Amino acid sequence: MYLEVKGLKKSYGEGGSYVEVLKGVDLAVEKSEMCVIQGASGSGKSTLLHCIGGLDKTDYGSISADGLEICGLSSEELSDYRRANLGFIFQFYNLVPNLTVKENIQVCGYLTDRPLDLEELLDTLGLAGHQDKFPQQLSGGQQQRCAIARALIKNPKLLLCDEPTGALDSHTSRDILELLERVNRKYGTTMLIVTHNNSIRQMVDQVVCLKDGQVRKNYRNEEKVPAAQLEDL
Amino acid sequence: MEKILRKRMFRDLKENKFRYLALGLLIILGMYIVIGLVGAADTVIVQTAETAKANRVEDGQFGMFAPLTEKTKSMLEEEGITLEEHFYLDYALPDKSILPETGGLPEGAGSADGTDTAEPTDSTDNAILRVFSRREKIDLVQVDSGRLPNVGGEILLERRFCEEHGITVGDRIAVGNRKFTVTGIGTSPDYESPLRSFSDSAVDSARFGIGFVTEEDYEQLREGDGGISAEEYTYAYLLNGRMSDKQLKEKLKELEIPADDITKFPDGNVTAAVSKLTRFVPADDNPRIGSAGNDKLVDKAAGLVAGVIVLILFAYVISVFTVHSIERESGVIGTLYAMGVKRKELLRHYLLLPVLLTFLAGGIGTGLGYSSFGVNIYLDDPYGYFSIPKVDVLYEPYLLLYGLFMPPLAAALTNYFVIRKKLNRPPLALIRVEQKKDRVTTIRLTGGFVRVFQTRQLLRERRTAVTVFWGMFISLLIVMLSLDCYVLCSHVKTENARDTRFAWMYTYKYPEEEVPEGGEEAYGVTMKKEVLGYRFDVTLLGIREGNPYFDAPVEKGEDRVLISSAMAQKYGIGEGDILTLLDEEKERYYAFRVDGIATCSAGFFAFMDIDSMRELMGESADHYNIVFSNHALDIDNGRLYAALSKEEVEKRAAVFVEQMRGMVTMLLVVSALIFVVVMYLMMKVMIDRSAKSVSLFKIFGYRKNEIRRLYLNGNFFVMAVSAFAGIPMAKAVMDLLFPYMVSNVACGINLSFSWQMYGGIFSGVLVLYGIINGLLMCRVNRILPTQVLKIRE
Repeated sequence: MYLEVKGLKKSYGEGGSYVEVLKGVDLAVEKSEMCVIQGASGSGKSTLLHCIGGLDKTDYGSISADGLEICGLSSEELSDYRRANLGFIFQFYNLVPNLTVKENIQVCGYLTDRPLDLEELLDTLGLAGHQDKFPQQLSGGQQQRCAIARALIKNPKLLLCDEPTGALDSHTSRDILELLERVNRKYGTTMLIVTHNNSIRQMVDQVVCLKDGQVRKNYRNEEKVPAAQLEDL
Repeated sequence: MEKILRKRMFRDLKENKFRYLALGLLIILGMYIVIGLVGAADTVIVQTAETAKANRVEDGQFGMFAPLTEKTKSMLEEEGITLEEHFYLDYALPDKSILPETGGLPEGAGSADGTDTAEPTDSTDNAILRVFSRREKIDLVQVDSGRLPNVGGEILLERRFCEEHGITVGDRIAVGNRKFTVTGIGTSPDYESPLRSFSDSAVDSARFGIGFVTEEDYEQLREGDGGISAEEYTYAYLLNGRMSDKQLKEKLKELEIPADDITKFPDGNVTAAVSKLTRFVPADDNPRIGSAGNDKLVDKAAGLVAGVIVLILFAYVISVFTVHSIERESGVIGTLYAMGVKRKELLRHYLLLPVLLTFLAGGIGTGLGYSSFGVNIYLDDPYGYFSIPKVDVLYEPYLLLYGLFMPPLAAALTNYFVIRKKLNRPPLALIRVEQKKDRVTTIRLTGGFVRVFQTRQLLRERRTAVTVFWGMFISLLIVMLSLDCYVLCSHVKTENARDTRFAWMYTYKYPEEEVPEGGEEAYGVTMKKEVLGYRFDVTLLGIREGNPYFDAPVEKGEDRVLISSAMAQKYGIGEGDILTLLDEEKERYYAFRVDGIATCSAGFFAFMDIDSMRELMGESADHYNIVFSNHALDIDNGRLYAALSKEEVEKRAAVFVEQMRGMVTMLLVVSALIFVVVMYLMMKVMIDRSAKSVSLFKIFGYRKNEIRRLYLNGNFFVMAVSAFAGIPMAKAVMDLLFPYMVSNVACGINLSFSWQMYGGIFSGVLVLYGIINGLLMCRVNRILPTQVLKIRE
């Protein structure tokens, strides 16, 4: 078991504005598997992802990633944890505007002693011809590819994707999902994908559905559908 | 990673090249001025002290009523003291005395051997030349050009006097009854400030200078007519470590010189007072010695402190840009945090640009400051005022370090605290580009849409508004520094002219029994009082009740005085205070109760009833030593220390304005430049932050004027309020600091502005704002309606 979440609780605000977003979430993800977290807006899926990524503090419960308990770590320790283990992909690509594609990727390559081969990564992600372009010269899909490449360059053990196709059209979304699938196969990266898109759950190993801050469904796909064959993206 | 991010930094620099260029140029200008000013100050302070030492500058000097006898001199010299007679004679030089044609003589003039004669003049309305015999032991003359006088008819003149009168080596000059050829031009360490009298507040080399002739010529001058006052029996001394000033003074005071030992005496009717020491002035108390260095100490301190203040302002302005950039890239920063990039790594990255920019700009400014366009130009000022020899520029290592490292240090410290705070937010808050909860921007406002919008815009940008205020305040401080200089000089000029009611003031060395007809007698004693580390002469002046020349209604009483307004301003003394004065000759302190302040800006005076003063000093009931009059009196020059005309007082006072004009103009230009650049850059940040909404408003169909009203007119309020509050604040702060900057100047500190000046400064701020507003509108016009649609993130 690579990732294990137990009894996780998280709330925001106080008094009249108090909201309990996660109400005791339990979750486990195997190494090198892809897991989708689904749920309606406000169900707590992004909060869960952020807590796993050490971006948000938890109120109660435990999160263990590759044997490391991250609840209770200081912000510096959490930073080390992210540096050593995680890659992030967001709906908005958050690329450094005045760095080229290659340089945006290299920014994170320097965070590890053993980065992936940049040229190979550019090839894998279909960015070979765009490496010297600046973000504003790229389409949305190309920017997201760049963001993925940036997340992957340090060869993270766990890739956390927050609505990775949320800002993309269906054609580009498919490209990105195929890419994630390929990365998972090639590098054995464990992936946790938060999405609204129901079609995506067919391509992953495990599906977790959240509702009102609790896990309502948690099942494994007996048969995965390759991203290329997904419909209604 | 930092290597890659550095590329981002250089691209940021390229994208905002005009912004950084403007700031860089300001830093270059700032450091150029500071290094030039302080470098010149160091050069003057160190090099003039060393030159003076090499020229055996005196440890002090003393004056006697009559010359010391050979026996007394020998006695002192046997005790290890080096003594030299620095006797002098003062001559008025009407314009026709200066004969600049090389080797030429006016019609009727005699030969060049020094034996020819010229018409003696009784005018003291012209330049005064103080003539000394050539020195051999103490206060040696540093020859700048030509040579020392070797034979009769030759004279060496002081450099500044020559510059003012266009005299060069080889010119001819008439002094007293004699004509001399100028064989050399130079300086003497005991007249670094060529002040005619110790109590003079300013050097005026057009009106006073010194010269050196051979011993034989000096003897002849003494025996001739034409001097405007009696010969002064001044001795310079070197202690040679054998005794202290105080011990020497004690010895001199103890001297009893029998009348038959007196070898030189100009006036046989004086008998009782001849053995008295008239003054004893150690070099430290001599305003003529080391004054250039002392003056530059203030420049140095002011330059270094002003440099730090201005650098902090610039560094803060850069930090505002950096913060703006961090806010714009908030999502990116949050993402990098999420990937494991650490705060300190990003902090280092964001600090790099300000540190590098300030280092480079500071380095260039330092280089320029040290170049021939820097220090040498700033040296023109002391060379044009003090009589100091031309010296080599001194390159002090600390100043080089200051110039190179102070700018990046100021930038690093200022930016560290500002940027760290910005980067200290949680990654999620940065990724979501969350605005911090800000109650101020969400307060309920009432009124019309435009007013409410402007107010909200202002509240949103209040931090930048605070920077605008401080930027303006710093600029205003420099404005106030220059205007305080100007008004001080201007007040000295106008008030001295206004308050000097006498046409002539005669200071006696040997008073006559009867006060000359038409004269108003007074009794003056020069005392000392210290303020801000400098000791100035204060004249305790006994006057009759109803003296027409001073608006000082003195009353009887040995402890009651009225003080001049100049003294009240300089010393901060007021009615009811106790005034303590030191009589150095008697080594005695006198305490007086200040009854009031008399309007008199022309010197530091404590007025008291003349009879009470005679009693206090143990003088006879008819004693006097000063006569004021409203017309020239017929008094034998041999009896006088000095004769001072109202016109001369006015001319001396006007010297300040001329001297300060260049500096005042330079400071005003620099402050205006800082003001425009800082204000423009700050307000542009406000506009850039609002670019998205400006673009949106253009899509809505808002016209230029309407956008100007919404986004720019609110700034007028910021500027107006900042100016309204900043002008009096800057004035108050500068008025507190300014007396320290001119602590070595002996004059009243009247820094009051007329309301028109305040109005002028306010109007100036608004005019400059008008220019800035025009530039900002160009920027607003460049924001395209489609811009908001292009902003994806």
